[in-house]
Amino acid sequence: MAAELLRESFNIQGRNFDKAGEVSSGIKVILRDLLIDAANTRRTVIVAYEGEMNVVMYADRGTLTLILTDKDISLEIDDEGPGIPDIEMALQEGYSTASDEMRELGFGFGMGLPNMKKNSDEFRIESEVGKGTRVFARIKLDANG
Amino acid sequence: MRACPTHAIRVKNGKAHLISELCIDCGSCLGVCQLGAISATTIKFAELNRYKFKVAVASPALLTQFGLRDTPADVGRALLELGFDAVWDYAVDIALVDRAITDFVKKWPGPFPLISNSCPVVVRLIQVAYPSMVDHVIPLEAPREIAARELKRRYSREMGLNPEEIAAIYITPCQAKAISILQPAEEAKSNLDGAVAISEIYNDLLTKMRKTVRPGDAPKDLVTAGELLHWGAPEGEIPALSREHYLPLTGLTDIMKVFNDIEKGRIRNIEFLECDACQGGCIGGNLTVENLYVARSKNLHLMASMPKPGPEFEKEVDRRYALEDFSLRGSLKPRQTEGEAIDLRERVMRRKRAEEVLRTLPLLNCGLCGAPKCKNHAEDVAASRADLLDCVFLSPDRIKALGKHYKK
Repeated sequence: MAAELLRESFNIQGRNFDKAGEVSSGIKVILRDLLIDAANTRRTVIVAYEGEMNVVMYADRGTLTLILTDKDISLEIDDEGPGIPDIEMALQEGYSTASDEMRELGFGFGMGLPNMKKNSDEFRIESEVGKGTRVFARIKLDANG
Repeated sequence: MRACPTHAIRVKNGKAHLISELCIDCGSCLGVCQLGAISATTIKFAELNRYKFKVAVASPALLTQFGLRDTPADVGRALLELGFDAVWDYAVDIALVDRAITDFVKKWPGPFPLISNSCPVVVRLIQVAYPSMVDHVIPLEAPREIAARELKRRYSREMGLNPEEIAAIYITPCQAKAISILQPAEEAKSNLDGAVAISEIYNDLLTKMRKTVRPGDAPKDLVTAGELLHWGAPEGEIPALSREHYLPLTGLTDIMKVFNDIEKGRIRNIEFLECDACQGGCIGGNLTVENLYVARSKNLHLMASMPKPGPEFEKEVDRRYALEDFSLRGSLKPRQTEGEAIDLRERVMRRKRAEEVLRTLPLLNCGLCGAPKCKNHAEDVAASRADLLDCVFLSPDRIKALGKHYKK
């Protein structure tokens, strides 16, 4: 395994739509300052944003950890929330358990998890109902040249 | 220094220095610097005399700069009297590019939204601060470039001149377009030969307009082209695109907010973003004279009072649309920065060093070190571009040195 160059964690506040997106904005600035290439930055930011939004929409609180090595960028998103009963179902495009309220805010089209999966090279979800969810995504740095 | 949206300015020994790879030519510094440390890169009118035949391509913003009773035709006449050999009717080119954009958007498979490129500041902002979005920038030429190409073609044929003897001169509302002629972002050569600031010729034009006998009586032989100026929609307004999927944005702050959302994949329903860095669009450019709101009122007045373009106009647009290619020559790439010479490991080290330095700084962003924010100073120190002790909180001597410099 490649040596870790950087590891930073950020707290995400559940149900705070006002601040939603700030963590992924922070990630973007870090990657941009480190001159990570544009395509990988874009993929990472999309994964981070969707992950952050899932925590904001469903969980009480969570953390997002950014880990950078020579070879890849990893994101770990951990939350204390309701958990996902059927992960396979949740990964289908268009499947959503969002409330009408959330949809009115423009979220909950059932594209969050599928989008995260699509934009990462490795993607795992572990979840325990009533406890929380842990998402792991890896973006390879050489995948896009 | 603080006005700069990309933090590209440092003040060292009392002088402003530019980190040129970060500069996006927006001109924000130009408007706030009282001391004249910064000036616009336009050409003086007198420099144009080396060309045999000079054609003015006037930004529609020029037409909004004068009184309500001054017509576009008056402005055209005044330009001719000022010494231009012809005034180009720019409205056709604007209509052509509008059509090209509309068609392009319809055929584009993605990524969305496409972003307009007629404002050079927006293009450079993307190259510098949003490199992941360069493929959102619409790869079409701006109307001013299309105009310059066509006018050279036409006058070299009609007047029997070499294209090199003809100068296409843009009458510009901002310095950014002047710079885009000298150094196009897509690294092709501009069809235009230079730009003259609206503010530079404003007084002369006004004098000529006031002296000229009112419409109708102008000596006909002065008018060699364009039948004086036709009113085009302000640059880049695309009436044919569906309102629902098309957003016009003005002002750098607002543009950056929307770009941040695009990077997160949050903008989903928009196909085309028309972005102008100046608040209020080109009529608010920093080389204009009239205040934005008066100019806007004049703009609305012009739009309401101009007759609809006749069948000839439409015919000309159809004719040229079938013949011409509007795609951008050259391609747009993210701008290289100096950090790319070092590897990722070293960049991470620099970042960590910058964070450590930042913890020792007061976070007041006083600017006395010469950087706009403590964060920028920390980055400069980590990259060995600045001395940590330039911070007055860490080095009281620095205050004395600054005092000597400024208290004269």
